[in-house]
Amino acid sequence: MNRLKAIAEGQKVESVIQDEVLARDPILQIQNFSLFYGRKQALYNISMPIAKGMVTALVGPSGCGKSTLLRSVNRMNDLIDSVSIEGDMLLSGDSIFDPGVDVIQLRKRMGMVFQKPNPFPMSIFENVVYPLRIDGERDKTRLMQVCEHSLRGAALWDEAKDRLQESGLSLSGGQQQRLCIARAIASDPEVLLLDEPCSALDPIATGKIEDLIEQLSGDYSILIVTHNMQQASRISDHTAFMYLGRLVEMAETSLIFTRPKLQETEDYITGRFG
Amino acid sequence: MVWLTGGMFVVACLMILSLLALVLYQGLSTLWPRPFLLLSTSSDELIAGELQSRQNYRLSRQNLRELDPASQVQAEQLLNGAAQVNAKRMYLRTGNYEVTNRHFVFVPDLSITSKKPIEPENVWLLERREWGNLYGFPKSLSWTDARETDVVPLVRDAMRDAARVSSALEHQKNLLERTDRRLADSRIAVRQVELNEKIDLQAVAEQAIQDSLAPSADVSSVAAGSKALDGLSVGARRAIERLIEETKASSELQITINEEIAKLEAERNARSVVMQLPIPEAAHPISVPWSELVQGGESASDELKNAVGLGDVSDTIEIHTKPLQDRQAILELRWQSQPPLMLWGTANADGTTSVSRLREHTVLIADIVRLVEPNRLSLIGKAGVYASRWGEFLFGQPREAGVEGGFFPAIWGTIVMTLVMSLAVMPFGVLAALYMREYAKGGWLLSIIRISINNLAGVPSIVYGVFGLSFFCYTIGGFIDGGPVKAGFNPWPSTVWFSAVAALAVLGLIAFVISILGNQAGQRDSSMRRWIGFLSGLLWLSCLVGIALLVVKSPFFHGFYEAQLPNPTFGKGCLLWAACTLALLTLPVVIVATEEALAAVPNSLREGSYACGAGKWQTIHRIVLPYARPGIITGFILAMARGAGEVAPMMLVGAIPLATELPLDFEFPFLHGSRSFMHLGFQIYSLGFQSQNSEAAKPMVFTATLLLLTIVTLLNQTAIWLRARLRKRFQTSQF
Repeated sequence: MNRLKAIAEGQKVESVIQDEVLARDPILQIQNFSLFYGRKQALYNISMPIAKGMVTALVGPSGCGKSTLLRSVNRMNDLIDSVSIEGDMLLSGDSIFDPGVDVIQLRKRMGMVFQKPNPFPMSIFENVVYPLRIDGERDKTRLMQVCEHSLRGAALWDEAKDRLQESGLSLSGGQQQRLCIARAIASDPEVLLLDEPCSALDPIATGKIEDLIEQLSGDYSILIVTHNMQQASRISDHTAFMYLGRLVEMAETSLIFTRPKLQETEDYITGRFG
Repeated sequence: MVWLTGGMFVVACLMILSLLALVLYQGLSTLWPRPFLLLSTSSDELIAGELQSRQNYRLSRQNLRELDPASQVQAEQLLNGAAQVNAKRMYLRTGNYEVTNRHFVFVPDLSITSKKPIEPENVWLLERREWGNLYGFPKSLSWTDARETDVVPLVRDAMRDAARVSSALEHQKNLLERTDRRLADSRIAVRQVELNEKIDLQAVAEQAIQDSLAPSADVSSVAAGSKALDGLSVGARRAIERLIEETKASSELQITINEEIAKLEAERNARSVVMQLPIPEAAHPISVPWSELVQGGESASDELKNAVGLGDVSDTIEIHTKPLQDRQAILELRWQSQPPLMLWGTANADGTTSVSRLREHTVLIADIVRLVEPNRLSLIGKAGVYASRWGEFLFGQPREAGVEGGFFPAIWGTIVMTLVMSLAVMPFGVLAALYMREYAKGGWLLSIIRISINNLAGVPSIVYGVFGLSFFCYTIGGFIDGGPVKAGFNPWPSTVWFSAVAALAVLGLIAFVISILGNQAGQRDSSMRRWIGFLSGLLWLSCLVGIALLVVKSPFFHGFYEAQLPNPTFGKGCLLWAACTLALLTLPVVIVATEEALAAVPNSLREGSYACGAGKWQTIHRIVLPYARPGIITGFILAMARGAGEVAPMMLVGAIPLATELPLDFEFPFLHGSRSFMHLGFQIYSLGFQSQNSEAAKPMVFTATLLLLTIVTLLNQTAIWLRARLRKRFQTSQF
């Protein structure tokens, strides 16, 4: 518990990252990243690699900065005026926070799925091809191809193929979330960011989404925030444990859920605190 | 507590319901035909009129003096020492205004002496183009001595013919008006040339016209006339030649049109009907006893015949008596087949009898709009008259300065003005709200502006009227009409103006350079970027002010309608400025509603869109605006409803009680922004409180109110329906 106490007292604590994780080929490299809401610091010097073609789960108690870190990856935090950052992240070697970066182009390289399903108030078809629409794509056959491909990828094709012109809002909650996933993968992103995608869903829908994430891993590099330890252990390859804005430990999931290096991580995972 | 709140609820409901009931009852009942009554009063007067209503009123000692002596005695008994007492009276529409100088009369029940009022079968109500209603009994038709009792079909046929003649006349007058306008236009064109070239063409033009119009216009004088044009520019010559042509054409046309008009007018005035008004003329004493006269019978004595001027009628005359009371009666004299002659008979105190003919009055058939026989109508007939009156009310032109006839120009004016207003307010309101909600960064300035806009919604509307009059009509309108001088700005001398142009160009260049510098510097340093942004914003703003100043102070601009001056074109109240004023008035409503609609768009949708790589504007126009559309449209229609019902500013910026031209018609350019127009709300005010005979207009006020309420309610209902329909699209099936 000493580490966590030290963190709570504001001392600088080194994070422990397993060598096997470091050895992987990273798609996203977070480098000494700190984030401030006005004067309040939310993330402290986070450095971690996100491995290519794998699922990385971010776990930790509420308010530890998991979502903030995730939303920093595609610079969604830019929408909040008071946010300022230090450090940088590299997406396939390209800086994300360099002043010259075109945020819109950057976001097109990633897909994001939010806590609550947020389908747009338009048809299922238009929802899926939205990323292409804003790029000005007009070709019907190509749009249809992408739509089918993405919906198949999101395991929604069989349920939705006969009702593509119906409103996206007419789907059930779990279907809506899969629709959002289809939308996120429509532009063939390098990284898929999932922000607690199952927290608003019932167990059956959750199971379907988890199956889907497992299917998608390999084709996509996935960074997922979750509160659910079982979920993290089921679907992720790597797991990072965060606490109060710091990365505490990061390792392969099988390792961190059986024999973590740090006692604190084990305590959290086994539910002894948090 | 439940009693207090429930009680207040009931009070509120009652207030609304009673208002609705009043407007509905008064508005719907006005046009319903009512029975025509004849009665006599204790002052031996014959009172006749359409029964509008029976009313309760307070009879007090003060107004005893208005009654005749016999009624005063009655009233004293009724009062029985009290200061005032409830009494009843009849409210009768008497019509026949040009003879009696009144439209309405109140008859207290206590001064009515007739046991039961007579409802004569053969009375006619003529609704006329001028002078309002006429009530009377038909006597004869000018164009035929038809031997039929029922002349109604003849009159109806004649009315149909007269309507055709009238429309032909209208057409000719329109033609005349159009040539006059063309002539006026060519005069204005000459004036425009004068203004452009700073020369005086008046004398040349007059001379040229006279030469070419002179009856002895031979080749040489026309040539001399054209010689006077030699020294002029091409434009001036063309203008004068056009003026000459138009003058010639119009003088030729005028002759033929005036002949045609004279012919049509003669035809129009040829047919008339002689009516007997319920007003007794001088009495002729006769020796026939009252009792015998009242019994009537086959033959009237020669004495009676002579007294009423029927001495030369050899046929037997039937007398039908309708006693009003013991000593007074209406006598119908019938012989052969003729509309009966109506007489007023009284028994004198000394046992003799007097009879008097009724006042005769000639009515042109062409003046009659509608012929109603109020006492012969069945329920279906009444409904027919009612429907026909509503038809005229909704689609007809006004008669009698708007007191009678149709409200179509007012309805049309209201609709057109509201539409133009919404076209003006919509882009402003929605874009301003978009900026405030989606782009602006917040902070104290935005809060102040938001509060100001909310407060603006509470500013009395007359203030907007005053502002509209002084700013839109006089300043902007004056500027359009006659340039800076007319709008009250002193134009700069041209040297000053050109140096100002140069200064502004330099300022613009500086602003441009600084903005570019700011963009580059900003990438390194954000505080520097803010300062430079602020500075360049300030510079751009002053450039805008400078451009406005240059326009306003230009010595070269003399207005688009200088030639028409001193007649204002846009420099007065008109449709355009009324719409602008109302747009200003409803702007807060639109902004607030749009802002609320935008605020109701879930942030998750915006984030979702941004996460897909959409830009700000793409997100707004693909996600935010479609989602907010129901709310925006609701606010917009509420603003329309508010604008349609607004009267106070209309009085100042363009509504007039009687407009001859519609603001939107089939004449190029179809929408006439510079025309004044009629407006329903203003019509209610001007009819009820400004017209010469507001008593006659009172029923129309209620009908117009009903119409306005209906329009506003319809708009609101549309808003609610539209919102419900659009909302359905965004309903999400939650799990």
